[in-house]
Amino acid sequence: MLIKRKAPWWNVFYLIEVISGLLITMKHFLFKKTATLQFPEERREYSDRYRGLHYIKTVNNVENCTACMLCPTVCPAECIHIVAEERADKEKYPARFEIDLLRCCFCGMCEEACPKDAIKLSNIYEMAQVERIVLEKDVLLDQRGGK
Amino acid sequence: MPKCTIDGREVEFQAGENIVNIAKRVGVDVPVFCYHPGLSVVAQCRMCLVEVEKMPKLQTACSTPATDGMVVRTTSDSVKKARASTMEFLLVNHPLDCPVCDKSGECDLQDNSFAHGSAYMRSTEERRTFVDVDMGPVIQKNMNRCIHCTRCIRFGDEVAGVREMVAIQRGNMTDITTIDGLPLSTQYAGNYADICPTGALTLKDFRFKKRAWFLKKTPSVCGGCSKGCATEVHHENGSIYRTLPRVSPGVNKYWLCDEGRFLFNHAQEEDRVREVWTKTSSEATWAEEIQKFRSTLAQAGSVVFAVGSDLTLEEMKAIQVFVSQHAPSAVLGHFGTPGILTSSEDGPEDSILRMKSKTANLMGAEKLGFKPLQKASFDVAIVFTAGRAVLPELQAKHKIGVGLFITKEAERFDVVLPSLSMFEKDGTIVNHAGIEQRLRRVVPPRGHCKSISEVLMLLANTGKKQGVA
Repeated sequence: MLIKRKAPWWNVFYLIEVISGLLITMKHFLFKKTATLQFPEERREYSDRYRGLHYIKTVNNVENCTACMLCPTVCPAECIHIVAEERADKEKYPARFEIDLLRCCFCGMCEEACPKDAIKLSNIYEMAQVERIVLEKDVLLDQRGGK
Repeated sequence: MPKCTIDGREVEFQAGENIVNIAKRVGVDVPVFCYHPGLSVVAQCRMCLVEVEKMPKLQTACSTPATDGMVVRTTSDSVKKARASTMEFLLVNHPLDCPVCDKSGECDLQDNSFAHGSAYMRSTEERRTFVDVDMGPVIQKNMNRCIHCTRCIRFGDEVAGVREMVAIQRGNMTDITTIDGLPLSTQYAGNYADICPTGALTLKDFRFKKRAWFLKKTPSVCGGCSKGCATEVHHENGSIYRTLPRVSPGVNKYWLCDEGRFLFNHAQEEDRVREVWTKTSSEATWAEEIQKFRSTLAQAGSVVFAVGSDLTLEEMKAIQVFVSQHAPSAVLGHFGTPGILTSSEDGPEDSILRMKSKTANLMGAEKLGFKPLQKASFDVAIVFTAGRAVLPELQAKHKIGVGLFITKEAERFDVVLPSLSMFEKDGTIVNHAGIEQRLRRVVPPRGHCKSISEVLMLLANTGKKQGVA
């Protein structure tokens, strides 16, 4: 049932509400910092623990990865595919290392499982693409973050 | 029967049994490195130390035979301490390169270290390193990982019958190697990798192919010869990666020969015929070829059905029934190994496992009443094989092959209808001693392979249903 409450007569003018509302607007406009960023020019600072685009760490241009397959084992999204091979300067190395970015859920378990400190999640968060992307090994070897 | 007590559990045993085996029966796991049930006991790894009441010191469970009324404790503080220190000593020189090592995931050293060792290491000294000799085409050696259990030396000596592996140098620098650095000569070399408790000896064929924990394991029977060794086929995603022996006391014990171990490679060869293949056209289909096959059978004067003795009993029986109903005048015979026509000619090739007949089901073929294939000329020859039997020299105007063929073999035929390998079907095979063993499908066939019974069914189906493949 609708209850009709009797409002005081001055409410008819809404004057107090209009003035207090305007005061809030002016407070934000004049005295507070803006919450939005001008994105491509301005960027938000993220913590070092942020989990963004992957990369494989290299030392002296040799990848740390030994293709031990712990990251595909632990990966809940099953987005990592590795083919191991042997070469003269390294007993075991990943001949192919692919990360299917669309499947990746950025949980960071691969980074945690890695015994060689090889797979890393950088701070890069701009990954929007117009087509499916699978990160190949040569892309992953690009040292994206200083981790 | 005498009784002893292990960790408070009373257990009966036969005289002479050692504590490791008795403990296993009551579910007590005694960690071992050098002990292997198929080899002699040396008690040199010291991992299986257990406390035996009324004995002043810890005893090695592998070399101590149980006696009546013996009380064994495997979880006391002194045993735990002994195990931890043994593990620490073993790891002093171990490179801990588990990420690179193929053994990780199924490594005794890894498992025992996890269960009984410490996660920390006190030694800071440099580890010994070796330059490895080439061990031949089967085994890859990495001496740095070796823990000197000497299982390989004993295997060569006692089972393979060749004394080819030896320990040279002393103590810390003990090097397990072949005599004069020669490559391994035994045909059972793959077993060295199986029995090695670390990654010191691994298979070259399996090197870096797959991590052990990804593999699915299906028990199977080796189709390499008439011995019928029990195997375990490891596969993932429709590809077979390796074959290991399965313990089968009456047949192969713990071992498997290299020929049987790498048999799966033949079924996975790149140029295996997986689609209908004909000499004349490259666009043959199952429907057409079955139709032609049927009319060829109807018109031909003399027909021979050559049945490889590598097929299963079920397939042989299906062929037998088909011939009796649809081609009663045809000649039926089995083929397999050249020179070994009957099971009486079959026999052991060496003193271990290998048999002269290189097909698995020679005995089964004879049981079903198949006779060896006689040389004669025919109008049409139909050859059934699972890829193991050596193709016979047949005098025929028109030759049809049903089974596993590689392209080179297929060129000897007019038509090849692809069928299944030993790893792609269920069935029964009978080994040389008359033991019936069950084959299980390990992987599904790729391409458009059909089982032999399906091919026969399509052939026999003359009228109504024409929907083929």
